[in-house]
Amino acid sequence: MVSLARKNLLHDWLRFAITVAGVSFAVTLILVQVGLFMGLLGKSTVTIENASADIWVTSKETPNVDFAHTFPETTVLRVRGVPGVQRADNLILQFMNIMLPSGAEEGCLVYALDDFQAWNLPWNVEGADVRDLKRGRYLLMDQSAVRRFGAFAIGDYREIVGARFKIIGTTTGAQSFTTAPIVFMDFRNAQERLETLRNKAQYVLVKVEPGVDVNAVVAEIRRILPYNDVYTKADWARRSRSYWVVSTGLGMNMGVTVFLGILVGIVVVGQTLYTSAVEHVKEFGTVKAIGGSNWDIYKILGEQALIAAVVGFALGGVISLLMRPLMAKLYLNVLITPGFAATVFVGTVLMCLGAAMLSFRRVASIDPALVFRA
Amino acid sequence: MVLKVSDVRKTFEEGIQKVEVLKGVSMEVAQGEVVALEGPSGSGKTTLLSIMGCILTPTSGEISIGGERVALHDAAKLREVRRRSIGFVFQQFNLFPALTALENVEYALNVKGGRGPEARREATRALEAVGLADRLRFLPRDLSGGQKQRVAIARALAGRPQVILADEPTANLDTAVGVQILELFRDLAKRENKGLVIVTHDPKVRNVADRVVGIKDGRLAA
Repeated sequence: MVSLARKNLLHDWLRFAITVAGVSFAVTLILVQVGLFMGLLGKSTVTIENASADIWVTSKETPNVDFAHTFPETTVLRVRGVPGVQRADNLILQFMNIMLPSGAEEGCLVYALDDFQAWNLPWNVEGADVRDLKRGRYLLMDQSAVRRFGAFAIGDYREIVGARFKIIGTTTGAQSFTTAPIVFMDFRNAQERLETLRNKAQYVLVKVEPGVDVNAVVAEIRRILPYNDVYTKADWARRSRSYWVVSTGLGMNMGVTVFLGILVGIVVVGQTLYTSAVEHVKEFGTVKAIGGSNWDIYKILGEQALIAAVVGFALGGVISLLMRPLMAKLYLNVLITPGFAATVFVGTVLMCLGAAMLSFRRVASIDPALVFRA
Repeated sequence: MVLKVSDVRKTFEEGIQKVEVLKGVSMEVAQGEVVALEGPSGSGKTTLLSIMGCILTPTSGEISIGGERVALHDAAKLREVRRRSIGFVFQQFNLFPALTALENVEYALNVKGGRGPEARREATRALEAVGLADRLRFLPRDLSGGQKQRVAIARALAGRPQVILADEPTANLDTAVGVQILELFRDLAKRENKGLVIVTHDPKVRNVADRVVGIKDGRLAA
């Protein structure tokens, strides 16, 4: 089969290049902007995702994992008594001030547990055994803190709320949506730092026994702790994410970006295909005269739109992937999952086919008798 | 008769004004017959050609192609008749600029339902028949006017239509090339037993036509 669609595209390569540039711009805009957003959102729940807790007990109306409030640390004892609970421990997750060697004071986000190993927190540890955190005023600091706190090394000391702590190891990948660097220390050390934390906890992490229905355990904990909120891991992660998406307007911002990307794509593809259709009116008239139908011409425009979509997506995808290491240098993660890429691809194809349909009316009105006009 | 037109009338409406362009035209074309349709501008010859080609629907009258009456008010059936039974040659050649000579003919076959290597072989044969075996891969812009019209003739003949309709096929060619094209056209039509109608102002067409039909003010001249 001779493809008039492909041949016409290559014959008018400049127009094709403009079309592809428009599509790839839209694709890059969406992949990078939404990828950045998803990377940021990933930070907002990275500790929830990595912790091995099946259930999170929080204070009432806690909006997201970073903004915790206190409740009595004895709450955990009631949770431990719920049938089906294998293990439950208190967690402190608190912003604290840290003094830097320069004399500057900064904020950090302290994660404090009695037994980190039991909860797979932190992960990607270098230079230390997490069990050593209990041995004194020791802490683990995430590598991403370099950007805010400057260079640090294992063996250095940092002062947190008036007490010196030795950095005994580092972690990677533990980041917060708030950009405050994360440090890990023993539960009692954290409680001693702030008066407001004495005899308090901010979360209870719960692991259920194998084979037990998590939702049933959640329901029971809710029953016995009416002044707390109780979430499954997935629900808690969703709530934390949606706080940033909805409450901050970031979701709306992303929506506008995606809309603009699609609009740019439709305008560029639609305009170039429409102009092309107008310029090829006599050719399309000839197709109709020799027995072709409107559908034959729609297929030509559709194939051109599809080619523009595939090539534009490929080019936009490559540009986006090339931007990832550049963004990483700015500590920004452009998260492009296969599912997200597939969604953008399908969206690109639909966008281009939709743009092609703008020309359909023009094509349908072509009178084949025009072939006899000089 | 391979083509029969019976009492065809065509009226165009321009605002409140009605213009009757064809006023009861009847004519027949036999297999292998070459008919020249002559007439001044505005006489209705192109309208008649469009109706014979099932591109335009007459206001009244009948058309039969290959002995079968054409359903003139069914767009899909008219398209099918054009696809199956009619080949066109246009004054401006109307080749697809992005396609080579071979692809131009093959694409027309694809539109008519031809597929794969068989369509390519038939396109090649058609171009060889018009003397363009060495120009198969040439784009229209690299062909002379005469060569372009040969491609157009090959395209019209491909798919073995019963009727070929040509609109001023020599209008954009110089005299010598025009004579060559007309002779080629006549020979091919005779050899393949097609009914050939040539609308023209060109007196040279008379030399190759079996019959000359004049048309004036929407009526066939005696």
